[in-house]
Amino acid sequence: MSTLEIKNLHKEYVDAYTGETVTAVGDVSFSVDRGEFVSILGPSGCGKTTVLNVVAGFDKLTSGSVEVGGKPVTAPSPERGVVFQSFALFPWKTVLGNVAFGLRMRGVPRREREPVARQYLELVGLEGFERKFPHELSGGMQQRLGVARVLANEPEVMLMDEPFASVDAQTRRKLQEDLTDIFQAKRPTVFFVTHDVDEAVFLSDRVVVLSSRPSTVAEIVTVPLERPRNWRSVLENPDFRHTVTHLTDLLAGGRAHGEEQAERLSGRVDSSSEPPVRADAGGES
Amino acid sequence: MTVSGATQRTRPAMGGFWWRRLGRSRVVRTFGPFVPVVLAWWAVAELEFFPAAFFVGPDVVVAEFAELIKKGILPAYLSDSVTRLWTGVVFGLLIGIPAGFLVAMSRWARRLTWPLLMFFQAIADIAWLPIVIVWFGFSLTAVTFVIVYTIVFPLMISIVAGVEQVPRDMVRAARSLGAGRFRVFTDVILPGALPAVATGIRTGLGYGWRALIAAEIIVGTSGIGFMMFDARRAGEVTGVFVGMIVLGILWFALDALVLAPFERSTIERWGMIQTAEVAR
Repeated sequence: MSTLEIKNLHKEYVDAYTGETVTAVGDVSFSVDRGEFVSILGPSGCGKTTVLNVVAGFDKLTSGSVEVGGKPVTAPSPERGVVFQSFALFPWKTVLGNVAFGLRMRGVPRREREPVARQYLELVGLEGFERKFPHELSGGMQQRLGVARVLANEPEVMLMDEPFASVDAQTRRKLQEDLTDIFQAKRPTVFFVTHDVDEAVFLSDRVVVLSSRPSTVAEIVTVPLERPRNWRSVLENPDFRHTVTHLTDLLAGGRAHGEEQAERLSGRVDSSSEPPVRADAGGES
Repeated sequence: MTVSGATQRTRPAMGGFWWRRLGRSRVVRTFGPFVPVVLAWWAVAELEFFPAAFFVGPDVVVAEFAELIKKGILPAYLSDSVTRLWTGVVFGLLIGIPAGFLVAMSRWARRLTWPLLMFFQAIADIAWLPIVIVWFGFSLTAVTFVIVYTIVFPLMISIVAGVEQVPRDMVRAARSLGAGRFRVFTDVILPGALPAVATGIRTGLGYGWRALIAAEIIVGTSGIGFMMFDARRAGEVTGVFVGMIVLGILWFALDALVLAPFERSTIERWGMIQTAEVAR
């Protein structure tokens, strides 16, 4: 049974200035299984964040259905914790206070929530920073705290809204590797929104590609990569480049020579010896 | 980037070592800026630009200050003023903070009260004095009313602005972690609006302090404001000078002993206000 089930999700809103009705999400259906990592990828403005906001319970859908654990989504719930691009940590709480926030909200007594909070801090590599305040941490550490804060609640599904978009490129790579490790260790169900093709492929089991507005599901691509994953080995994997190229073509409007280009690219991968160069070539295509 | 780096490197050469060390001392930083002001004041008084009946030097003021303390007038008046301010501030905060959050949190409260807020805020505190004196006479109630009035409106308006500035994602994060409406308020909105509350209290206190002096001058039977006005009536400029300086010192003390430490231990500690980059 799938943990997250989205059927014919349709979302319209009325523009506050023009008064026009705008369709944010046309018709989107897909599901996420328990312990699965699924990314949603689409051109900017295609409504992928809107899909996440509906799943989180922040936005109401216009028609269709969204169910998590068999129950329809009506409002935000600790079963659907969100990791934000803006981190959204509580600056007046210490690192420990942030992680324990969800447990405290659910009425877990102090003595029980502290060991749990510490365990999750350790999971994301923040042990020793319990008494610090969020602004004293680097961007990467802040977002790891964001992940720990959600996971400490043991949600049905962790929702991530472009969580690494506001950190620098090197840190992003590191965070992506950390996230796959955490995923490997805890096997949470993850629904991940991104516009970064490499990131989607590196992290996910499956990638849902949306078309531009009014968005529909263009294709659901299964990523043929083994876990555990790290960038060093993934970049050398022809399957990775093949999938990235395919997704890039889908995003560009499904060009007919996509397959052909993928072949050519993977051919080049085999003959080349320097990973950074290959990464650049993939990024540009 | 390069420009600021360059200026930073040339600064020590221009300033000199002893100067920088002096600049780091807390005492020098607090009282240093007053030295040239007092010297200029002294010079102007000594050179007798103005007749002594209009302008007195620091030596005369200090002597009068000592005299007033010895006679017990200054301590008594000071404690009267501070008691009035305290009463006004306590009631002002007790009314202003809950009212501010109520208006900020409830759409209906906002719709109903916002035009009223704007209207009453515009009536200057002292403009209430004539009618307040008619109602309450020359009493503590009259003075308190004016102070409360001055504090409540800026406080409410800054709380509303503060609540609006709490990032939406922070509220959403709390809700998706299991916080209900009440917990969102107590655990996110309240601390999130604290910088604005601090600003509101600071502004409110400043206005309240001014309103108090104005009220004492008009309603006055005692207090620093009354002392100044009384001295003027007797043609003694020195008393007026003493009053002005006492006002300045009191605000300074309030800021250094209460407001600044509170802000340092909360919003600054949490990194919720950025230190200005311009005047580094």
